Amino acid sequence: MLATIGHVTKKEIRQILRDRRSLVLILVMPILLTFLFGKALETGDLRQIPSVILNQDESPESNVIATAFSTFDEVRIQAEVPTLQEAQDLLAQGKIKAAIIIPKGFMKKVEAGEEAELNLLLDGTDNNSAPIVEGVAKRVIQRYNAERAIKGLWARGVRPDRGRLLIQPVFVQTEIKYNPGLQYLSYVMPGVIGLTLQLLTVMLMAITIPRERERGTLDQLMATPISRTELIMGKLLPYFGISLLNVITILFVADRWFNIPVDENLPLLLLLCALFVLSSLATGLLISTVSRSQFQAVQIAVFYVLPVFMLSGAYAPLEAIPDYIRPISYLFPLMYFSRAVRAVTLRGADFLLVWKDVAVLGGFVVVFLYWAVLSFHKRVA
Amino acid sequence: MGYAIETRDLTRRFGEVIAVAGLNLSVQAGEIFGFLGPNGAGKTTTIRMLCGLLLPSGGTATVAGLDVSREAEAIKRCVGYMPQRFSLYGDLTVEENLDFFAGVYRLPRAERKRRVGETLQRVGLVERRKVLTDHLSGGLKQRLALGCALVHSPALLFLDEPTAGADPPSRQRIWDLLYEVAAEGKTILVTTHYVEEAERCQSIGFMHHGRLIGAGSPEQCRADLAEVILEVDAQPVMQAAAVARAQEGVTGVSIYGHTLRVFAKEATPLCDRLREELVAQGLGVKGLRTVAPTLEDVFMSLTRGIPGNNGEA
Repeated sequence: MLATIGHVTKKEIRQILRDRRSLVLILVMPILLTFLFGKALETGDLRQIPSVILNQDESPESNVIATAFSTFDEVRIQAEVPTLQEAQDLLAQGKIKAAIIIPKGFMKKVEAGEEAELNLLLDGTDNNSAPIVEGVAKRVIQRYNAERAIKGLWARGVRPDRGRLLIQPVFVQTEIKYNPGLQYLSYVMPGVIGLTLQLLTVMLMAITIPRERERGTLDQLMATPISRTELIMGKLLPYFGISLLNVITILFVADRWFNIPVDENLPLLLLLCALFVLSSLATGLLISTVSRSQFQAVQIAVFYVLPVFMLSGAYAPLEAIPDYIRPISYLFPLMYFSRAVRAVTLRGADFLLVWKDVAVLGGFVVVFLYWAVLSFHKRVA
Repeated sequence: MGYAIETRDLTRRFGEVIAVAGLNLSVQAGEIFGFLGPNGAGKTTTIRMLCGLLLPSGGTATVAGLDVSREAEAIKRCVGYMPQRFSLYGDLTVEENLDFFAGVYRLPRAERKRRVGETLQRVGLVERRKVLTDHLSGGLKQRLALGCALVHSPALLFLDEPTAGADPPSRQRIWDLLYEVAAEGKTILVTTHYVEEAERCQSIGFMHHGRLIGAGSPEQCRADLAEVILEVDAQPVMQAAAVARAQEGVTGVSIYGHTLRVFAKEATPLCDRLREELVAQGLGVKGLRTVAPTLEDVFMSLTRGIPGNNGEA
């Protein structure tokens, strides 16, 4: 059994090493993909949204509002612009995401007790920044209204500290743990790592058996007393080795360029990666055993890999997925992998906190491998 | 000696198509058995069932006393198979291919080394053992494939057109090898399109439309032919063929260069009648005689006897 697995593994390694071009691709592609995906998603970091202020009122009250905006981290006031035209041009050119407009007569309306307005011009094509600027504006106005009320009460003899007790609205004091910068990148990077590992392993593995079928070598192989398990394990091992190399380079890229604290708990991280890679290889093998041709195998692999990324919570939180679709998410190893890796890299979780995900990943490996062996037939019925 | 291969009503269907239809075949242990028949006759399907690659749809078959339906894996251990299509790893060297198959056939390390060395020697690829298989010529590839089927010293060898497309020296070389292997007491079942190769076998079987339509030694098959063959040298040959076809009792006419081969139930009245008719039509008759049938004649005659076909499958 072990000897035969060894013969298949030796043969596969010889074939892999002889195909230099594919080998380079296999080793370089994951680094490149992790880097590119990571860089592409880095812009999703939602802070310092470039904005301008158009203060048409130029009054003491409007100045209070204008300065209030610059105390928020979420927006970066680049300049005060003199005209609406200029604000619109900057927005159209994409140089800013928001223009905050305090219309003429703002102070007059406020003092007369009329309803005054604050206008926002937002770039709706960026659906991440628009609601954030809106939220900031609401908080600015809330605070401004409170301050005015307190001043009004003082004029009627209520001391500001007492007035504050009456008026001060509830402010939500949030302390964000585990990803203080609320950086999207830190959230999504484990998913990116998983996606890259999965893409490669599933594809590589999926074509191995159809390739032998197309070349006719499977026929010769099936005429020998090799068992299904021996063939499947023999094919799995060399690709597992390659994938572990990829794990190391990918983790290095994530640590070096994307501030993912890999050294937080490296052994646990490696265990998660190894189990995930095995589950992906097993998935690829399963695709391999049911595909008649390499073309078909690639087709099935693509149809597996793409939805997984969207549905596994790697890209956006699982809670964003509708209830009736969410059960599907639990079918993908990537979901457990990215959840556990996030726990380790963002929260410093230890084995006791992620053991369930580890166990589920291990379960996937066993089930998929067993399934792959069962769906592979040495003889045509 | 007993039978190395025995089938009883062996049948294989692919959907609506019946590839092998109730085949009854017996192959003596230690003989070279030639399996003849046109493309699509069911030869490859039969071999694949006998090697344990394909499950029969009906009937039974035993190979080395083992049942193909129930003991396929045991059969694989004592059988060597060379498929019709080249099926070795092109990106491995000659030696690596042999070594891999020797390993997969579970030869222990020391024996594996020895067998790979011996096989390289036997198929004459010692100097090319480090060459990538893809870089070998067609004839050498066939020799290597034969080597891979032989490397574990199987008791039975199934060869599906081992010489297809090979030039005469390569074919000679492969046949020399087969005799060598047969001399060691191994049973060989070989399919071929070449009738002259069939003459080299100890027994032959003609397969057509999934059935065995004749079997025996080549001499026996020729002797058993129920027809006589007249060789007619008459010019112009096309007109002569038309005249021959029109005669009563003629079952078939084939043209070979300047001569005709006329198949008939009986020679005696026909010979004279045909000569008279040819002369009457103004054709010059240089020769007209009964000749001994070749295996090709036997095959043509046998296939013609089956209703609803014209020798094509």
